[in-house]
Amino acid sequence: MSTSSVSKGCFVFKPSPKKRKKQDVSQESYFIHDCAGPESGQRRFKLCQDLWKQIETETEVLQDELHRKILDSLLEFSRKCSSARCHGDWASQMRASEIPTAALMLGVNVPDHDLTFSSLSDLLRQSVTPYVVSLQAKECGALKHLLKRVLEGLMETVVAVDDEDEADQAACHVQKSVHCSLTTLCDWYIIKTKKSSNDTPGKKRPSTVTDEPEQLPPVVVVFKDLEAFNPKVLQDFILICSRYVHRLPLMFIFGIATSPSTIQHMLPHSVSSLLCIQLFQSLSCTEHLATVIDKFILTHQFPFKLTEKVLSVLVSIFFFHDFSVRNFMKGLQLALLEHFYTQPLSVLCCRKKAALHHATQLDHGDLERIRLLPSFKRYVEGQEAEEQVNLMTDDSHLKEVCQKLIKTLHKYHKNYYPTLRCLHALTSTLPRHLLGKQIRELHEACLRKNVWEQENYQSAMKLLKMQAKDELVVSLRRCAEILRSVKSKTMKNACEQLEELLCRFQQLDAAVDVAPSEDECVLSPPKNLPKKTDLFQLQKTLLEMNESRRSKKLSPFEILRNETVEFVDGLVRSHLWPPESQPLHEVCYYSSVATVKHHLNASPRTSIQVALSNPDHYLENDSLKTEDGSLSSAAPDICIAYKLHLECGRLINLYDWLEAYATVVSAAKVDPDQDAFGKVDEVKHARFIRAVSELEFLGFVKSTKQKTDHVARLTWGGC
Amino acid sequence: MSKRKGKISHQPLGECITQVQRILRERYCQQKLAKGLDGVGAQHKHLEELLRRTAVYGESNSVLIVGPRGAGKSSLLRSVLQELLEEKEVQENLLQVHLNGLLQTDDRIALKEITRQLHLENVVGEKVFGSFAENLAFLLEALKKGDRTSSRPVLFVLDEFDLFAHHKNQTLLYNLFDVSQSTQAPVAVVGLTCRLDVLELLEKRVKSRFSHRQIHLLSGLTFSQYLDRVRAQLSLSDDFCDSRFAQEWNASVKNLIEDKSVQDVLQRHFDCSKDFRSLHVLLMLCLSRVTLAKPTIKASDLLDASRLCLADCKTNMLHGLSIVELCLIIAMKHLNDVYEGEPFNLQMVHNEFKKFLQRKSNSMYNFSPPVIVKGFEHLQQLELVRPVDGSPKTQREYQMMRLMVDRSQIMEALQKYPQCPTDIKQWALSAFA
Amino acid sequence: MAGLLEHPGYDEERLKRAAEQLPCREVQAGMLLSLMGEPHQYCYPSIFIYGHRASGKSHVINVLMKELELPHATLSCVECVSVALLFEQVLRSFFGCDVASLLPRSPSLTDFVRIYRQQSPARQTRYIVMEKAELLRDADANLLPALLRLQELVEDNVTVILLSEIVWDTFRPNTGCFEPLLLHFPDYSKVELQQILSQDRHPSFSAELYSFYVSVLLGVFYSVCRDLRELRHLAALNFSKFCEPLAEGKVKETDTHKLWKNIEPHLKKAMQTVYLREVSSLQWEQMQQMEEETGALKGLSAHTHVELPFYSKFLLIAAYLASYNPARTDKRFFLKHHGKIKKTNFLKKNEKTTNHLLGPKPFPLDRLLAIFYSVVDGRVAPTASIFSQISSLVTLQLLAQVSHDDQLDSPKYKCAVSLEFICNISRTVNFDIMKYLYDFL
Repeated sequence: MSTSSVSKGCFVFKPSPKKRKKQDVSQESYFIHDCAGPESGQRRFKLCQDLWKQIETETEVLQDELHRKILDSLLEFSRKCSSARCHGDWASQMRASEIPTAALMLGVNVPDHDLTFSSLSDLLRQSVTPYVVSLQAKECGALKHLLKRVLEGLMETVVAVDDEDEADQAACHVQKSVHCSLTTLCDWYIIKTKKSSNDTPGKKRPSTVTDEPEQLPPVVVVFKDLEAFNPKVLQDFILICSRYVHRLPLMFIFGIATSPSTIQHMLPHSVSSLLCIQLFQSLSCTEHLATVIDKFILTHQFPFKLTEKVLSVLVSIFFFHDFSVRNFMKGLQLALLEHFYTQPLSVLCCRKKAALHHATQLDHGDLERIRLLPSFKRYVEGQEAEEQVNLMTDDSHLKEVCQKLIKTLHKYHKNYYPTLRCLHALTSTLPRHLLGKQIRELHEACLRKNVWEQENYQSAMKLLKMQAKDELVVSLRRCAEILRSVKSKTMKNACEQLEELLCRFQQLDAAVDVAPSEDECVLSPPKNLPKKTDLFQLQKTLLEMNESRRSKKLSPFEILRNETVEFVDGLVRSHLWPPESQPLHEVCYYSSVATVKHHLNASPRTSIQVALSNPDHYLENDSLKTEDGSLSSAAPDICIAYKLHLECGRLINLYDWLEAYATVVSAAKVDPDQDAFGKVDEVKHARFIRAVSELEFLGFVKSTKQKTDHVARLTWGGC
Repeated sequence: MSKRKGKISHQPLGECITQVQRILRERYCQQKLAKGLDGVGAQHKHLEELLRRTAVYGESNSVLIVGPRGAGKSSLLRSVLQELLEEKEVQENLLQVHLNGLLQTDDRIALKEITRQLHLENVVGEKVFGSFAENLAFLLEALKKGDRTSSRPVLFVLDEFDLFAHHKNQTLLYNLFDVSQSTQAPVAVVGLTCRLDVLELLEKRVKSRFSHRQIHLLSGLTFSQYLDRVRAQLSLSDDFCDSRFAQEWNASVKNLIEDKSVQDVLQRHFDCSKDFRSLHVLLMLCLSRVTLAKPTIKASDLLDASRLCLADCKTNMLHGLSIVELCLIIAMKHLNDVYEGEPFNLQMVHNEFKKFLQRKSNSMYNFSPPVIVKGFEHLQQLELVRPVDGSPKTQREYQMMRLMVDRSQIMEALQKYPQCPTDIKQWALSAFA
Repeated sequence: MAGLLEHPGYDEERLKRAAEQLPCREVQAGMLLSLMGEPHQYCYPSIFIYGHRASGKSHVINVLMKELELPHATLSCVECVSVALLFEQVLRSFFGCDVASLLPRSPSLTDFVRIYRQQSPARQTRYIVMEKAELLRDADANLLPALLRLQELVEDNVTVILLSEIVWDTFRPNTGCFEPLLLHFPDYSKVELQQILSQDRHPSFSAELYSFYVSVLLGVFYSVCRDLRELRHLAALNFSKFCEPLAEGKVKETDTHKLWKNIEPHLKKAMQTVYLREVSSLQWEQMQQMEEETGALKGLSAHTHVELPFYSKFLLIAAYLASYNPARTDKRFFLKHHGKIKKTNFLKKNEKTTNHLLGPKPFPLDRLLAIFYSVVDGRVAPTASIFSQISSLVTLQLLAQVSHDDQLDSPKYKCAVSLEFICNISRTVNFDIMKYLYDFL
């Protein structure tokens, strides 16, 4: 129960490191046993590992910079508290007896919290105080345990950084004080601080502390999951602490998943009045996800890609079930693994150079596989006859072509993402977010099918065509920035065109300054356009504006605007093809939704159903295979019993059931000698009873009082 | 600490006061009583008789002294022992073991304590005994005098006797009584308890071994006797260091007692309880006001003291509540009136309160719900409301509660309440909720 | 007022110093002192002091003990998780650590008393002060009675002083015990509060100004809050706001009326959050800036909104319905075409709107799921993550599991969220919960 959280998917338990190691080995062997040659298997395995390593490292970096802001403010707070203690201004003196407390709002995605807390306590240790202890509810059932935890935690941490005599002294402290009280801690703290203040300015002591020697480092206690704590225990602990706050600069950090009002629910006024609470809001998990996707999905850096379906599955798991980014990453990892495991051609799924290199060493089998790729087939059909023949027969030629194709694929990616961003930059500001508020949604749309054929896109373009100048220019500027950062050739000159358009806009301004009279009629239509209005309205106005446009000649601004929109549209049409259009896209794109669902969003019920109704699915025993849903009599007893019970009504007569079972089972016998046929002997009887009790255990039937020797059926239809 | 001071006829007033304080405080704090308890002469004689038999003639005995708390059981015993110990042979003969049910919470501890009090630790040393009985027997054996003919009489005093009855199958009691029955060693077992039904607590085998002697201290004291007792408790003995002061003091005490208002007060106390201890509290409070400046106890002191004693705690506490909490209390009172003291929960109380607010036009009391909850919490903390024991899982708002204050207390508190808004007063008085 | 304390046997100077530290508590202090008597005299075996929080109980005692240097042991019963700790502290502060170390591993009262008696008798009264004495009731039964008559048990001049917010009546064990001497510390009157609060004035402002500020503060808050600690907190909270105009130089310290005009509305707002202690003063100021723009003052209690995954929201809604609707009404609510169950005969007037008064009722898991599937739009597979969300809602305290953890078969739950909370939730998934609630038909 304690590990459960909204984000608890199938991955809530971290595998211990050595376990993971074992796993790796087995993985490798798997890759090798796989159909392709061992060396390619190893290569793929290595690629997979490298990619994952890369992802992991980058996520950590990401995590840190995402949490930096809140952590910094938190550190600031803690420093202020510890400094206010010694030389307080009036306000802080008024609150001298209160324990500074930071209430950290983390959102309901509990599995992600551990990372946050670990990084937080590290930061605290580095920059504020060596004395940090973090508690979890499940270890603090009673006040005794909590105190014990705190003492041990603190003394151990210090023991770790200090020499031995300290160690066993502290140890005996804990041992000796059968009743570990805060007084012990106080004495210990005083000794520590005296020691560390008069010896060399501390190994652990940061500048902030050392530069004002009279200031003592606070003792920070972190409550990881406040909700789960027993309120009584918490209250008592706080009460005790408040008696020592003058001798021992304490500070609390509450990790809150739901809402700050939990503090009030847990603590009565008499206790909460001892705290000086300050709120800290951590960034929402949706933003977090956005950044993660931005970093790992919407970039050509990572050769490995997800098709629209897989992506949407992962995203929907995130939004429907758990807000856990961690689990999202796990999903990504799974997809990665699966891809490299199942797709032999994934050797080509890596950086351009490596891919080209690998392409040269493809063996015949791989090439055959390539020839079988649907996208490749499509490509072949596009070529002339003899070229087709060459491609299908000549391996070396194929290799070269492959390299070419890989190049194009990479180029495609290079151009795809910047264009995507531009489009998003332009359309995200439009009313109703026709193409999605998040770039993620736009991306999915583009993956799905040619975006320019979707009417949302068209109407968006129309809206663009009537956007007011200032807005347009702003978003164009953003596009320009996006493009500027890209190195590919096409993007470069796209960028140039854009710049050029922009400066023409400026010239327009200048012109306007010259001739203000004209400016009126020019800018009037967009001006009187209501900023926020619903789509229907807009289209109506749009129509009548078309009228007007037909009627009177276009102003230079409008011409320019149309031109710009055309340009953007052209950009989209040339670069935002869905990946299916690209030959060899299977190499990079992972597409099997079923596996992902199956692994990430397991449904125990259905799997039980499957196992019972057609056992061969799991047993992989073809002899059990049957057509038209009937069951072979060689199937396990429970399957047979289950099958039979499906045909019964609400109440099942055990004896009839047994009879039926007996007949089916004896049908399995090779020679149905007449007398024994369908007889119920002890063995059958026992097997039947076991099967029934197993079914009962699985919750399909239960014994009932209504009728003697009957059982009640509990399930209806297939759920 | 002996009271025997030099017989100097006169001493400075300050010194006298100090002496008075010392003597009387000792009297009130640890029941060092003035000579002879009044009104319990019979019991006194009886007990002394019993103990002398044990101490002098080596007869075994067991007796229970039963009486309400503060009725002077311990003092009776103490005074009897005092008298006995003045006789030389008793003094050198009798051994005493004082056990207290509060301290010796089980028989193992009790036995250790006995050993200690008989100074036999070194004798027992590291011996291990099969049973409790053996152990006790050994102890008594060890007490034999040099000529090994008869062993010294031991007096066992069991304070809070009823608590011993709760020990695991009453081993200690059984053995003590058993010894007192058999003639292996002269022991006297004196139990002090405030439970009249104490015999019911004893197991059959234990009860059968107990000589059903009981000394009851159920004081059927008349008011005049009570007054005498008060005077006795206040007045100084003639061996006081400064005789003249003593006379003055006693005289003033006499006047005090005869004062009408004082008698009324004492009457009230008398009606509440006749025992020593409550009286001592009262007198202690008076005594504490005796200073150099005011070397006698005035009637006013007694009145104030009694006011302190008889003050109602809950009303005092109600006085300190904030308006919010007071409103809640009143709402609860109304609920109690309507539903004949059925338990209620915060939601209901809040509704009741809201009803009141709706009737009021001005909205100076509409506090945000969290504030109300806090107020309710506080009341619960003060145990002015008590949760009806139900499932602890229920949220605070829905926990069923009972009000622990009665309407008279509420009303009294409202009268005293500083700056109590009139509309709230009216609301409290209004019959309909 | 100070220096009112006087008693023979104590040093005048010390008394004076003590008196200065005890504003508005001279009476109680004097009372106590006279009860204590001179150092060598006996004091009443046990004194029970009760009074509201922040009425100076422990303060008075501590000051007397410290200033008069009486031998004493002060301990809070919260801290004494075991009696061993209690004994140990008492012995240590009376006789030093080496005596305290004589205690056996899990000491009984007897050991304590024995060790105590072996020490030299007191030349002057020793005091054992126990704060939060109400917790002694939870300790083993004969601890409290023994402490009350400790003087008699150890035959030494020792006095036990119990401090508590709870009246003595609730302490008395059923067979009675030695009655302590009761002493009540009344709450401070308005004048006294004024006097005390004025003492901690801001150094950079004149005393008059601050006392004026305090009087304003009391004018607003005294009616609702008499807790000194709370008032002090409020004072600290709002003072910066109070002297804003002074800082800006718009107003002189002298024209108090303007100042009053300036602060009054803010205090009125603060009324709503009195007792809640949601924010430190620092954040309070930030919030007030915020409120300049938004115009709404929000405390902790204001952010009750919780961001939940889609299905969790529906699970929560389903749980709410399950725990506030009688089971028999489900048919009417959730069957697409429930034959002919008319409002009239399925509404029972007598039980109308009681469910929201009596609180949530427990419901089995399958009922929850049934309602969930009928409430949520679109078909949801009963996947593992759905079930795990239920358990996680429990850990978030939004659901409460009433049946035992070990009972795997058909666990029972309760919904633990408020009506407005659920309304917010259902608004976000635009589901009109009011239509489905039996109480509001």
